[in-house]
Amino acid sequence: MIKTTCLVQENQISEEQESALRKEMEEFVRSSFDESAEIDWVIVPKNSGFTAGVPSTSVIVSIRSNVILERERRVLLLKELCDIWITETGLSINEVVGTITDPPN
Amino acid sequence: MPLYICNSRKGLISDQTKALIAEDITRIHCQVTDAPRTFVHAFFFEEASNVPLGDKQALLYGQIRAGRTDKQKEEIRERMSQAIHIHTGISKDDISAYTTDTPASWVMEGGDLLPEPGEEEAWLVAHEAKHKQEV
Repeated sequence: MIKTTCLVQENQISEEQESALRKEMEEFVRSSFDESAEIDWVIVPKNSGFTAGVPSTSVIVSIRSNVILERERRVLLLKELCDIWITETGLSINEVVGTITDPPN
Repeated sequence: MPLYICNSRKGLISDQTKALIAEDITRIHCQVTDAPRTFVHAFFFEEASNVPLGDKQALLYGQIRAGRTDKQKEEIRERMSQAIHIHTGISKDDISAYTTDTPASWVMEGGDLLPEPGEEEAWLVAHEAKHKQEV
């Protein structure tokens, strides 16, 4: 299972969007890493998320790869990951943070 | 990135206080590392299981870009713990703070890989120019 964490702000993502994003994330992880995603959907409570010291509209999506990735491969995957979120949510490119980490040593 | 997660016991930190602590976290991180403010995320939770409190009342976990010195990390932990203490009244003994390093090249923000520490200014200029062209 590929650990996948989605940090979103409360009331930022509708139920329909969440459902679609979960499905797309599962497909993305399956096609990228040939494993299932274990999605941890974490909602930052209202008035509890800040970016640059002001109320945040950022989402932070982290995936733990099952292989060590070369830079070019990671960039392609990160772009695809961020595009999924921008397309589905309508957030701007500056509001989506994507992280793909290598497996722990 | 950085992402700071502040986990605390239920009801200990009001919404107003969260805003004050978030401002301090942002300011301290930028003062210590010269990172731009727009990079700094501070999210607050109560008794979140993925960042266990143990026997503490509040815990600050910072996921920061790799490349900071031990001295910088120590200063970040110390000053941010102090900020939480001042704004909440929680004893410093009841506050825990730690950071982990994440390579900048593992993170995409604003459609670009994050810069290595020290390369932020050039990154911001290039980033802004790129997005002006796209608009």
